Amino acid sequence: MGYRRKLFSVKNPFDTENTNEIFLAAVRENCEFHYKNCPEYKKILDSMGFSPNDLKTYEDIAKIPPIPTLFFKSHKIYSMPKNKFFITATSSGTSGKFSEIGFDFLGLLNGLNMVLKIFKWRNITTLRPSHYIILGYRPHKGNNTAVTKTALGYTFFSPALSRTFALKFKDGKYSPDLEGVISAIKKYEHSRCGVRFIGFPSYTYFAMQLMDERGISVKLPKNSKIMLGGGWKQFYKERVDKRDFYALAKKTLGIDEENIIESFGAAEHPILYCDCKNHHFHIPVYSRVIIRDVNTLKPVPNGEMGLVNLITPMVKATPILSVMTDDLGVIHDEKCGCGINSPYLEIIGRVGVRDIKTCAAGAAELLNELEETK
Amino acid sequence: MILAGGEIFQSSEQNKILGVLEEKINRTLSSETLDREAVIAAADRLGKMISDGDFDHIIKQLSEDDPGEYVKTAAMLMKRENIEYRIASELGADFKEQYDITPPYGIKNAEIRFAPLGTLFHIAAGNVDGLPAFSVLEGLLTGNINILKLPEADNGLSVEIFKQLIKIEPALKNFIYVFDTPSSDVSAMKKMAEVSDGIVVWGGDGAVKAVRTLAPAGAKIIEWGHKLGFAYISGYEDKNAELSDLARHIFSTRQLFCSSCQTIFVNTEDIKVLEQFCNDFLPFLEKAAAEDPISEIGVTAEITLRKYNDLLENAISTADGGKRIFQGKGCSLTMLPDSGLELSYMYGNCLVKPLPERKIITSLRNSKGYLQTAGLICGKESRSRLTEILVRSGVNRVMRGGNMSVSFCGEAHDGEYPLRRYMRVVNIEK
Repeated sequence: MGYRRKLFSVKNPFDTENTNEIFLAAVRENCEFHYKNCPEYKKILDSMGFSPNDLKTYEDIAKIPPIPTLFFKSHKIYSMPKNKFFITATSSGTSGKFSEIGFDFLGLLNGLNMVLKIFKWRNITTLRPSHYIILGYRPHKGNNTAVTKTALGYTFFSPALSRTFALKFKDGKYSPDLEGVISAIKKYEHSRCGVRFIGFPSYTYFAMQLMDERGISVKLPKNSKIMLGGGWKQFYKERVDKRDFYALAKKTLGIDEENIIESFGAAEHPILYCDCKNHHFHIPVYSRVIIRDVNTLKPVPNGEMGLVNLITPMVKATPILSVMTDDLGVIHDEKCGCGINSPYLEIIGRVGVRDIKTCAAGAAELLNELEETK
Repeated sequence: MILAGGEIFQSSEQNKILGVLEEKINRTLSSETLDREAVIAAADRLGKMISDGDFDHIIKQLSEDDPGEYVKTAAMLMKRENIEYRIASELGADFKEQYDITPPYGIKNAEIRFAPLGTLFHIAAGNVDGLPAFSVLEGLLTGNINILKLPEADNGLSVEIFKQLIKIEPALKNFIYVFDTPSSDVSAMKKMAEVSDGIVVWGGDGAVKAVRTLAPAGAKIIEWGHKLGFAYISGYEDKNAELSDLARHIFSTRQLFCSSCQTIFVNTEDIKVLEQFCNDFLPFLEKAAAEDPISEIGVTAEITLRKYNDLLENAISTADGGKRIFQGKGCSLTMLPDSGLELSYMYGNCLVKPLPERKIITSLRNSKGYLQTAGLICGKESRSRLTEILVRSGVNRVMRGGNMSVSFCGEAHDGEYPLRRYMRVVNIEK
């Protein structure tokens, strides 16, 4: 049995403490695979003076040169021929560029194992049917984004009676349909089965706000849940304090805080991070997080903020072993009281120049355009 | 918020106001003219209010930086003697609004009259706080009716300024319209463009392109586009002082302005000389970084990430880019072997490239249209020679290295006098 499978078969999905050795072995195995099979990955490691043989102790994991998600947006690099990919997922390109990540069948199988274990722990998997209100994209042929696939995937963890989509694809683009969502909510208020909301936090919040403004409040069946994921996207400005969100959910939908489950994952790091009952994102055994100094990229001690570097040996098709996100975050060591001992990750925000467009940058854009048209 | 006819309206009333805009403008054109003296007096008074701190509460919301710098510039630009000096340098010291001529052939007696363009539609950029107000002030000084579309980042400062200005001089009320229309509301912007004789656009590629599509045929488009600044180094008068000034300029502007230094060109073809320059200059940049550090962690993280990503790009590229990064504390220099003018990573991260004197024109001509300020650092004996070459290559401002972004009263803007562009010359047969 390969180390990857061993790692993904660990019983307790949050036992990071006792899985460092097996994680290291799986990482070494994965690193060797990419080094041998992805010429670009080899060039990068060579240029940084790193070899998979340098992975001797658990601490050495931090020495693997992380690949920025930005890099995957301009380079499609793979460690397997494309015809061996089981699926390809694209990151949702908020800036117009997106990365295309290939997945191997066994990698996905391990991923499924992970999802089942984590959902079981969070009581998401059930045989009782539910109505689904998806505050995300309705899948269509042209949409490969990981978010769409994950959102739809969620609807299989409890048999689906109905699926309502808040973002509809019409005339070549997505547009929000919050009215449709509100009428679905009213319709299912007295249903015997629970209602599950899935999707972008921002749209969920907008829908609840709209209900609140109109003075609409319902009490949805007891086993209803709000499952959030996919990040705040372009609505950073509307980002709300989580407390307000929970309060609004209670007021407009009658859903208790413990039934609001938030999760995140990315095409470039397809590990399911699901919050605990205290809404903390504990690091699961399948993943490790290194927070790096914003100037030097050297690891910083837990408790300090920096760039979030995510590591997982889950995928062989694409060298996403160690990826550097453009998020800023902190790892918390302190016990949160939910019973899980592994540290938890808090995402604070995204890198970026404040909301200003500089005139010098504008000129460079124009110059580049001219170059391209020459 | 909208300001029209001296009154404040809610944004929701935009279309109602736009519906009667043309009629109102025509009424103003037929019955009112603007007295330049009244505009100057009102601006002078407002400048005093700004320097007395009457606007500090709003300025503080705009920027985390000390409002002192902004207040100083605003007060300077609005001072009567400075406006008068500016009018004299832009329109001529003996500028007369109208005079008679007797041409040698054709019509024998004619009158020359300088008239406002009519209505100016200002589309302002958000990167310089308070810029929208100055753009409109220029329009008022030339007697125009002004419609201002605010940049999205404007936090109410512009409306507040104009409200005060109209309070000081009520005759201005029909000459100032301010809309907070978002750039996505094309139909509203089209309406504003349709009633205008000139469209003044401050901004980048997106803004300029969009304006071209919505401008009616025949409207004059006055573009104040985006530019790239650079420093040129060919020896020194006082090396320590000049390098230290340049480093401070880089940090004080964050390399965000058109006039900010993005690339430092060194008069050499020898990579070793270039390396030596980087080693010499880095400590100055580090010192400036320590005095005026970039406090926004998100900005620092983004730049670090971009630099790291470029390093990986280099690693997989077959060509040897010859790029070398000299990393300092809170700053960096990226040495490149080509001679093209390029945008840096900004925020204290400058590019360094070789540019031998004989190649200046060839190399800079590739960036024509984007040239504005050169910070020239050189020995006394070569200053006039190098200035001449820079001017011939298309540069519009040649400054000392540390003063690249320092403005002065009466200076041209991107090679032109704005006040002249906002007026037209009328010929009348007597």
